[in-house]
Amino acid sequence: MLQRTLLLGLLAAFVATVSGVGTARVGAQSAWPSADAYVAADKDSANWILPARNYSGNRYVSGAQITTANVGTLKRAWTANVDARGPLEVAPIVWNGTMYVTSSHNDVYALDAQTGALKWHFPYKPHVIAFSANRGVAIGDGKVYEATLDGHLIALDAMTGKPVWNVVAAHDVSNTFFTMQPVPYKNMLLLGASNGDWGGIGYLSAFDAATGKRLWDWKTIPGPGEPGHNTWSGDSWKRGGGAIWSGLAIDPTTSTVYVDAGNPQPDFLGTTRKGANLYTNSMVAIDISGAQPKIKWYHQFIPHDTHDWDPAMPPVLFTGSVAGSARSLVAAGDKGGNFWVLDAGTGAVVYHLAVSTQKGQNTEPSRKGDIACPNTNGGVEFNGGSYMPDTNAFYVPSVDQCGIWKSQGTATYVAGQFYLGGAFPALYGPSTGYMNAVDIGTGKFLWRKHLAFPQIGGALSMSTGVVFTGGVNGDFTAYDAKSGEVLWHYPTGMTIQAPAGTYTLGGKQFVVIAAGPAGVNFADPRFNKGAPTLEGKYSHPTAAQISAFTLP
Amino acid sequence: MRTVALSLAALVFFGSSAPPRPARDDHGSAMSALADVRAAVAEIVRIEDGYAVGHGAYLRAAHRAMNALVGRRDDGYAPSFGDPGDGIGTLGHLDRMLDQSGSSLWTPAVEGAKANVLAAAASLQSSLGQKEMEDYEADLTQALASLALVVGRATETGVLGGLDGALANTALGVPAGATTVSGCAAPNRAPAYGIVAGRLAYVALPRSSASAGIPNGFAVSRVEVAPAWVVLYAPAARAAIALCRAGSRMRRMRAVAAPGAQPPYTAAQAHAGSAIYRRACLQCHGADLQGAAGPAVAGTEFLTNAQHNKWTLGDMRTTVFENMPFSNPGSLAPQQYADVMAFLLASNCYAAGTQPFPTAAAPTLAKVKLGPIHGARLSNPRLGTCSVR
Repeated sequence: MLQRTLLLGLLAAFVATVSGVGTARVGAQSAWPSADAYVAADKDSANWILPARNYSGNRYVSGAQITTANVGTLKRAWTANVDARGPLEVAPIVWNGTMYVTSSHNDVYALDAQTGALKWHFPYKPHVIAFSANRGVAIGDGKVYEATLDGHLIALDAMTGKPVWNVVAAHDVSNTFFTMQPVPYKNMLLLGASNGDWGGIGYLSAFDAATGKRLWDWKTIPGPGEPGHNTWSGDSWKRGGGAIWSGLAIDPTTSTVYVDAGNPQPDFLGTTRKGANLYTNSMVAIDISGAQPKIKWYHQFIPHDTHDWDPAMPPVLFTGSVAGSARSLVAAGDKGGNFWVLDAGTGAVVYHLAVSTQKGQNTEPSRKGDIACPNTNGGVEFNGGSYMPDTNAFYVPSVDQCGIWKSQGTATYVAGQFYLGGAFPALYGPSTGYMNAVDIGTGKFLWRKHLAFPQIGGALSMSTGVVFTGGVNGDFTAYDAKSGEVLWHYPTGMTIQAPAGTYTLGGKQFVVIAAGPAGVNFADPRFNKGAPTLEGKYSHPTAAQISAFTLP
Repeated sequence: MRTVALSLAALVFFGSSAPPRPARDDHGSAMSALADVRAAVAEIVRIEDGYAVGHGAYLRAAHRAMNALVGRRDDGYAPSFGDPGDGIGTLGHLDRMLDQSGSSLWTPAVEGAKANVLAAAASLQSSLGQKEMEDYEADLTQALASLALVVGRATETGVLGGLDGALANTALGVPAGATTVSGCAAPNRAPAYGIVAGRLAYVALPRSSASAGIPNGFAVSRVEVAPAWVVLYAPAARAAIALCRAGSRMRRMRAVAAPGAQPPYTAAQAHAGSAIYRRACLQCHGADLQGAAGPAVAGTEFLTNAQHNKWTLGDMRTTVFENMPFSNPGSLAPQQYADVMAFLLASNCYAAGTQPFPTAAAPTLAKVKLGPIHGARLSNPRLGTCSVR
């Protein structure tokens, strides 16, 4: 196995070199990506080594084989079944011909990226606090790193799948779990804590990748004496929320990490936490070059949120042309239905655009119940979008739903239970979605497609003018980046809640997508089962599969 | 008969000297005591069913309930919060009833009621010092349970019957000034109350005015229509009349099991809940209830975690009723939610009983702590679950 993998690695290096996009990162001496290789990940078409391909968080590839002309002939090359007890939200990591994926319950699989054949399987049986989901692994130094639903960070031997070390990485495992994909940066693994609806306080942590030792925490809620603490009334900050669910973007030239902190708590009862509630619902730029993290700037998208409208979309750093001049930008999206473009240097808003129906947003939920749009599962969801320099457009799916929110008179903290001060909203009206293309030059839609089902599959764009995304109806779809025309689609028969990836192996470009059962957010039949595929099929078997597609 | 005699004695006393003392009216006192209890219960229910924010509203409710119960002569009376009762308080009325030489058939019931009023007042007093909502609610729940015993029920006699039982089954049910006759014979006039050794057997009402209503506090077990009057038999009428014929002893009332920390639900509910679970919950929580997209909801995994996190049945109810199904919360009817709760309790090997799982929020559920059940007969020992038929 070892020899075979090394051989594939050498082959990948050879392919990368002859195709003219090779870098110094792969060589006979370097079996695993170096710190420089992560920085140059964008130029490596053979592999996919970071959650969203590169530190910018932008799922964009140049020099693709797949084009608008040939995408119509794309065929499924292989499928691999994984544990089907929950939704697949994984972004596959591909390195030297091996693909590393996770199931919702933290099983890790190493697959042959050419054939889908199983190399090893690491089973795991975590206690589930609220729902099962995992967004994938990180790799480095012969290890595969996974953060789990029971609050652990585990390093596996990348060749065998056997645990090397296993640490408890959550401060309170009764209310905190991990869904995020760890992000390797220099000698660290960066990881955000998911605890924002169960009475915890969010934090971004750095762990030593060699040992799992905690290096630092950056808490999303400022404590007494810290700037921003006065945006919380009384002791409300202590269970203020601000979970870090989504991915990170990193500017390696300045060691700045861009991170989104989630909604405040209790989610639907704002009267108990008067004030803006920093840094919930904010993007925060943090300097991580030193021993301790330092805030550079922040922008709060929705101050004092009472609808669980956190900025679920992972940040995307890019250089775009705004009104004719190139600017360093960072994109964000929130469940309140806003797509945001900020100045990456200052956090100043360049513009924002509503990508979902917005109604009743300024009314705090009452005990009787109030309608507001989007629904808590609406707006821009956790897989985000992609910027394509070739069209100067940003491609981002959105969910269009409304909900009825109800608050309660009090919020009582009970370990392991929701800390909401109300109830999650009931769906009100139709449940649809959009695929949006936003013209970065103007801040207006280049095009948008209204779809009969929610759209949360993220976006993968290619310089050849093709944009891939997946819907909860199971359709994996390729759009024409310029026109929005559907060029190709494949009904997987399962729910797609994962982002697409791509890699090149054996001279062929593959596109990979994970599909499985609906997650708790989309389990209601009205969210998915009633939504036809583009071919009018209604097929949702309980299976979970990784599917790879390639040109014939 | 005794009531009339006492009333006459009071009248004599009233007429002979000053200062005047109000005429003794035990029936009226009992009715007033009940009105004060209801006022207190209304205060508690209002605050527990409401959504008041802040400590003040809860303190105020507990004080007002307390005022209605103890009356203004008690040290616990806090006039600044107002009094939803009549100022004499349940305790004042009961004390007046008990302030007599000798005892009536209804004395044990009234003494029991008084003990339960004091217990309720102690719970309310305790609630005033609570800082956690849960503790406050637990105290109020205890107060409500005590007050339920004060009110009692018309179908029970003695201590278990409370005030309603005494009013419906003893001479306490006879209003001041009303005519009483021997309950051993059919009525020969109307209106009249049939009494047997202090027990109330019936009330006879003229047909012309029977529709004017049943006397306050009276409960009817059987109705006889005669040419001139209607005879309404009391719940314990058979027992009272049996005394006339054979002098036999009243059968001992079956003791009612004391409510423990056992989750309420019936087997029929669990059965109904099984189908609802399959339709609305199974997709995320699994056919074996061990979780899929959602977490485990039964068995060792669930109960061990529940115990570790100190979950009560009330916590579980809140999550199920308020936030499930996760993708469309509140979409089931209250009865369906209650049935699902019953199914989950049965699957977790709790024993079924006669009390159904309530459709409305019940503070008593916060007293039931969840955790593995020792000695449960598991259908699936590996998962620690019980199958539901």
